[in-house]
Amino acid sequence: MSAGREDFGIAIRSALLKKGARQKFSLFFLISLSIVLLILESFSINFMLSTRGVINDSIYRFSTFASAPVNIFSKTSDKIKSHFFIYNENEVLKREITFYKTEKLKNEFLKTQNKKLLEIFNMEDNISDEKVLSRVLLDKESPYLKSLVINHGAKHGISKGMPVLDGDYLVGKIVESNYFSSRILLLNDLNSRIPVMINSTGAQAIITGKGGKDPVLEYLPDSYIPENNLTVFTSGKDGIFRSGVPIGKIFVESDVVKVKLFSDPNQIGFVSVHIIDLNNKFKEGVK
Amino acid sequence: MRAINFKSLTPSIINSGPIILLYYFSISEVDTHFSNLFEILSFNLQLIIIYYWMLRGASIVGNGHVFFAGVINDVIMGLPMGISSFSYLMVSFVASYVKHLTVNISLFTDWSTFLVAVFISNLTFLILIHNFSDLTLTYTNIFYNSFFTVLFYPFFWVFFNLYKSMMSIQKDD
Repeated sequence: MSAGREDFGIAIRSALLKKGARQKFSLFFLISLSIVLLILESFSINFMLSTRGVINDSIYRFSTFASAPVNIFSKTSDKIKSHFFIYNENEVLKREITFYKTEKLKNEFLKTQNKKLLEIFNMEDNISDEKVLSRVLLDKESPYLKSLVINHGAKHGISKGMPVLDGDYLVGKIVESNYFSSRILLLNDLNSRIPVMINSTGAQAIITGKGGKDPVLEYLPDSYIPENNLTVFTSGKDGIFRSGVPIGKIFVESDVVKVKLFSDPNQIGFVSVHIIDLNNKFKEGVK
Repeated sequence: MRAINFKSLTPSIINSGPIILLYYFSISEVDTHFSNLFEILSFNLQLIIIYYWMLRGASIVGNGHVFFAGVINDVIMGLPMGISSFSYLMVSFVASYVKHLTVNISLFTDWSTFLVAVFISNLTFLILIHNFSDLTLTYTNIFYNSFFTVLFYPFFWVFFNLYKSMMSIQKDD
């Protein structure tokens, strides 16, 4: 019995402390180093934050370079595929253009009406139009986190919390800002929660990522009866996201109200980050 | 026609294959997450590489490389630095322990001990995420990932065995 325990101890000690052929570090040393790194990072010291920023920027650039051959291959195969469907796509687009021409006229009328109403209530449309157009550097799928890395950062005025749009559609918010790059937390990530409003009914809810492709709506009113194909917009209740930014369409699946996003998280190439003064926004919220 | 003699051609390049693969999967956009085909289908190739090569050729993938691959993976994934390194080193630890105790090499012993390694590694990962970050993870996602990682191990075991036969590994490994 004691011999067995001794063997066990020897095996553990050997695994942790023995350096094999051409090994410079023991497992014990490297495990301790990982713990030190984790502890240092959890303190959020300025030195660690700037070091992490520099490491992030360099690794992201190197990663873009390393992924280039694979990206070129997948883009080429996508282009070849899309050529086969070009005729049908053209027909669909023609119909859509006719539809949107009429919608544009309606939109012009609503804009004027909205402006007049704001004047009556002495309210200003204080939405900033300052945007930073950025390219997606890195789009690595993970079973746990849904995020993208873009090629602009603190140098271009981007900071944590800013909303990110793909065209006119919301895709997420900035969760990490380095000097030359930033990370976007996508709407379908498990950690993403944004207050929204449902078109026509005006019901308020929170759009929550579940790690899958489609986020779900939570905290809907008790009396709310879900309907398919209603549009979901940002409500602006958090004081950060402007209200009325389209997100997606509702669909109900196994009694769960899900949102089909307008912008496919797997197909994003360019995004625009809306530069807002978050400090002022928070102060307004406190008032 | 003479067959290509890999041993005399470029042994150092061939020997570096597993490290290159480990670093490439950590740093590039290439991943082993196939949600487009099947929503829950994803596996962790890094764990398979580390476990197999720690067991069968520790001089090929050293602990230092495992640590740095983990740091790179943390940066790319947006995790606190050190989490992946720690969980990869746990796999390395189980492999070193198993290597010390076993004499016979068989797929079954490797596979069954790999299950223990994946369990310890993911448990460490979960504990560290809960204590050192604000991120939320679902246990089901981790379970599916672990399940497919263990399930696919034999395929990679066969592939790596074939690859290993082309390599010249130091005898003390």
